[in-house]
Amino acid sequence: MERVMKDDTIQEKGERARMASFVGAMAIADLVKTTLGPKGMDKILQSTGRGRSVTVTNDGATILKSLHIDNPAAKVLVDISKVQDDEVGDGTTSVVVLAGELLREAEKLVNMKIHPMTIIAGYRMAAECARNALLQRTMDNKGNTDKFRSDLMNIAMTTLSSKILSQDKEYFAELAVDAVLRLKGSTNLESIQILKKPGGSLKDSFLDEGFILDKKIGLGQPKRIENANILVANTAMDTDKVKIYGARVRVDSMTKVADIEAAEKQKMREKVQKIIAHGINCFVNRQLIYNFPEELFADAGILAVEHADFEGIERLALVTGGDIASTFDNPESVKLGHCKLIEEIMIGEDRLIHFSGVAMGQACTIVLRGASEHVLDEAERSLHDALCVLSQTVNDTRVLFGGGWPEMVMAKEVDQLARKTPGKKSHAIDAFSRALQAIPTIIADNAGLDSAELISQLRAEHHKENSTAGIDVITGNVGDMQKRGICEAFKVKQAIILSATEAAEMILRVDEIITCAPRRREDRM
Amino acid sequence: MAAVAAAPSRKTETYTDTKRRDDVRGANISSARSVADAVRTSLGPRGMDKMISSGDGDVIITNDGATILSRMSLLQPAARMLAELSRSQDAAAGDGTTTVVVLAGSLLRRAQSLLAAGAHPTAAADSLHRLAARAVEVLHGMAIPIELSDRDSLVKSASTALNSKVVSQYSSLLAPLAVDAALSVVDPAHPDLLDLRDIRIIKKLGGTVDDTELVRGLIFDKKASHAAGGPSRIENAKIAVIQFQVSPPKTDIEQSVIVSDYAQMDRILREERNYILGMVKKIKASGCNVLLIQKSILRDAVTDLSLHYLAKAKILVVKDVERDEIEFITKTLNCLPIANIEHFREDKLGYADVVEEVSVGDGKIVKIIGIKDMGRTATVLVRGSNQLVIDEADRSLHDALCVIRCLVNKRFLIAGGGAPEIEMSMQLAAWAKELHGMESYCIKEFADALEVIPYTLAENAGLNPIAIVTELRNRHAKGEKNTGINVRKGQITNILEENVVQPLLVSTSAISLACECVRMILKIDDIVTVR
Repeated sequence: MERVMKDDTIQEKGERARMASFVGAMAIADLVKTTLGPKGMDKILQSTGRGRSVTVTNDGATILKSLHIDNPAAKVLVDISKVQDDEVGDGTTSVVVLAGELLREAEKLVNMKIHPMTIIAGYRMAAECARNALLQRTMDNKGNTDKFRSDLMNIAMTTLSSKILSQDKEYFAELAVDAVLRLKGSTNLESIQILKKPGGSLKDSFLDEGFILDKKIGLGQPKRIENANILVANTAMDTDKVKIYGARVRVDSMTKVADIEAAEKQKMREKVQKIIAHGINCFVNRQLIYNFPEELFADAGILAVEHADFEGIERLALVTGGDIASTFDNPESVKLGHCKLIEEIMIGEDRLIHFSGVAMGQACTIVLRGASEHVLDEAERSLHDALCVLSQTVNDTRVLFGGGWPEMVMAKEVDQLARKTPGKKSHAIDAFSRALQAIPTIIADNAGLDSAELISQLRAEHHKENSTAGIDVITGNVGDMQKRGICEAFKVKQAIILSATEAAEMILRVDEIITCAPRRREDRM
Repeated sequence: MAAVAAAPSRKTETYTDTKRRDDVRGANISSARSVADAVRTSLGPRGMDKMISSGDGDVIITNDGATILSRMSLLQPAARMLAELSRSQDAAAGDGTTTVVVLAGSLLRRAQSLLAAGAHPTAAADSLHRLAARAVEVLHGMAIPIELSDRDSLVKSASTALNSKVVSQYSSLLAPLAVDAALSVVDPAHPDLLDLRDIRIIKKLGGTVDDTELVRGLIFDKKASHAAGGPSRIENAKIAVIQFQVSPPKTDIEQSVIVSDYAQMDRILREERNYILGMVKKIKASGCNVLLIQKSILRDAVTDLSLHYLAKAKILVVKDVERDEIEFITKTLNCLPIANIEHFREDKLGYADVVEEVSVGDGKIVKIIGIKDMGRTATVLVRGSNQLVIDEADRSLHDALCVIRCLVNKRFLIAGGGAPEIEMSMQLAAWAKELHGMESYCIKEFADALEVIPYTLAENAGLNPIAIVTELRNRHAKGEKNTGINVRKGQITNILEENVVQPLLVSTSAISLACECVRMILKIDDIVTVR
């Protein structure tokens, strides 16, 4: 037979290809499954790179992002988790687990000789029906500010309860809600700065209005400025060099060398004077400020900060409403930043610069404190999730209960749809409902509860109209989610259902995997 | 049929899964425990030291838990978490770095048996959280408030920290020294802040630890420049900290001086001399007689020629001052750095009674004392007969300073000698009886785990640990809250009367950090290798 493809190209077809994708996707889902829910477990991520750095995390997106993956179907799942992270920020584990469960059910159906396309059609109908079921049961407290705030608090607490911050969730939920409400509806999380400072405990974290820059104030300069005019710049403060390669000056005496040096100093002095002429009393530069200009600024009573990092100055420019300047010839065209007060503060052991009363009122800083870097990193990830969800909820104010409640509501509707639908599709719809129920099952299993017992109780509860029952992991019983205040954002749930279904569909359609021959490297070591 | 076949297969799958997870957890716990066991013997005043020889042949002798753990090259992730735990304790309290690791090890041992008995890891982790909160309450109940003016109590707690170190025989000298150094930098405007960066420790070989002193002024571990016979002692010094260079000019742009005949060369040499002389004159004109010159990488900070002129002008020169030291120096001298000769003005100078070069051991140092309006800083000169002793003295002094810092932050003392641990253990065990279910069981176990501290203290001191711990329990049950192990006498006494006290912050942070770390290890069920 003639060869169609190159050497080393691997081709898998039909059943084998489908098996390979099922197995890969389910392996990924099983890996992150145990992190689901308030009593989910953490994973150690051990890097094979230099330093063998260790991360301890419970965040699905973080785990999946760092995996070595060789299976194409598994990659699809990693991708949907990434999309979920970008879009809504939370539910990154749930989406993968649900997709995994859908595929697990699909595998059984395929074994029963049901065509993948039929399964896909059934899944689509079921997903649509599930979404509508949720839509009918959403609560919207948009008009009522107090109630809306308590909704947000509940959502934040539910999100945080599965994270490292769970022990202090009320405190952090308060922090996150305050920060997000300051944004006034914008989903731009850029203006919320998260600053990590080791030391103290998580409870010592706080929300600060304004901006904190982790830098030092130059020597001999004022440590406190009121009504500051800030110039944010990215300019060289050593010398303005001639940038032509090989340029050099020839002189014939020492005095002339001294003159050139003096001229250079003079040039610097003029530059500093131009900067001062902007009428500023605070100068923040991204590059180093050398001793000489530093002293000039000190003499002029200007607070100068050197070597602020890129992110630092961009954010500072954003929140103080200034431009980042690099030439200083036209003072009138440069927009200065303003803030009411600049002062040096101490957090733990370190001195930082605090800008308060900044022009952009939405801006705020969350200072995280914690015992170690591990704790801080994980806390930042958790808080970021909460902030994402909250900022989404501010725009889409529809809210659902949590604790497996939405899954059971959907499962019930989908079950009814299955009964009404004639033909093979109904098997697929049935399977969809089973996959949905797997999520509360896993949450219960992770908490070491008797899942079979709990889920059947829950299903019985949901047979009644308008039930608010869900799993209360803390007491280990079926409980009223409304009373427990366990809430989730509608947008997150919707995204989970839709993207998990789509991913499952995509993997189901596959009937051939072609692994291209790796490009050969000529001189391997 | 397929569904029926699938159901049992899924069951077995979950089964094997949990088995693997238990294995990971077991492996984590046992490697973390072995780390804890390694440092256990160095706990307490009679604890032993460890000799660590690093890959490149360096040898360190220490019994500071944080140092030992940071030098061990650990690979296993959970073991590394314990090393980090000890580092966190070092950052939070500065002392108790061994205690925290030993505590975590003991808690892990109990956790292992709890898991074997069928407890769910999260149940154990949650009860540990409640236990930590409660334990801190118990500790607060035992605490004794203290005033910063009460120097005796401060000295007592500093000496408790020092007693377990190699330099313990010098604790009567080092403890008051640490207290004085710390108190001299506390700013009355911010009475609860103590920035240890305001205390500089300078190590100098030679002499014994007895010769360690607190200097009210500034010390440079450098010679004054003698290239041209400059002065080595100046009274009524006017000190300038300069950031420019006293050397022939150099431009930022590349330059070359072209000499075409002999006469020109002569002229250039003369010009160079005049240039430097001009600078020196300007310096002299301001009345300055001590010059501290910042190190420069771009060009020579001083040349032989400029040193010569400066010596002629009777100016004492200390060169190669690091840039990051400038802030400390200017703060101490209460002066401003000068970055350009044009800005050399008298109001930027600092004043001191005496600046002199003193020989210390095999080297020389420059001392500045009697500084006018001295900033709130302190310098400690540590001496010792060999490098190992000096390093250990430095570490011990750091611990003692941290103890004082804890007291400044949180003004409570607590008894030492295992008393707080026994008290916690007893009160928590009593509390466990009021609880129900798994929580009660877990807390009972963990409460017992706290006894490891007095047990190890007794063991390391060569006492009978069982007899000591039971006796301690007995005395605490009678309500004698402050009885602890008196290692020196080898018996149980009221530990407060023996002046063995430590800051409350050390104990509270040890228990809460240890619990947090153990919780984290318990919650891990898998190790994933990633990029």
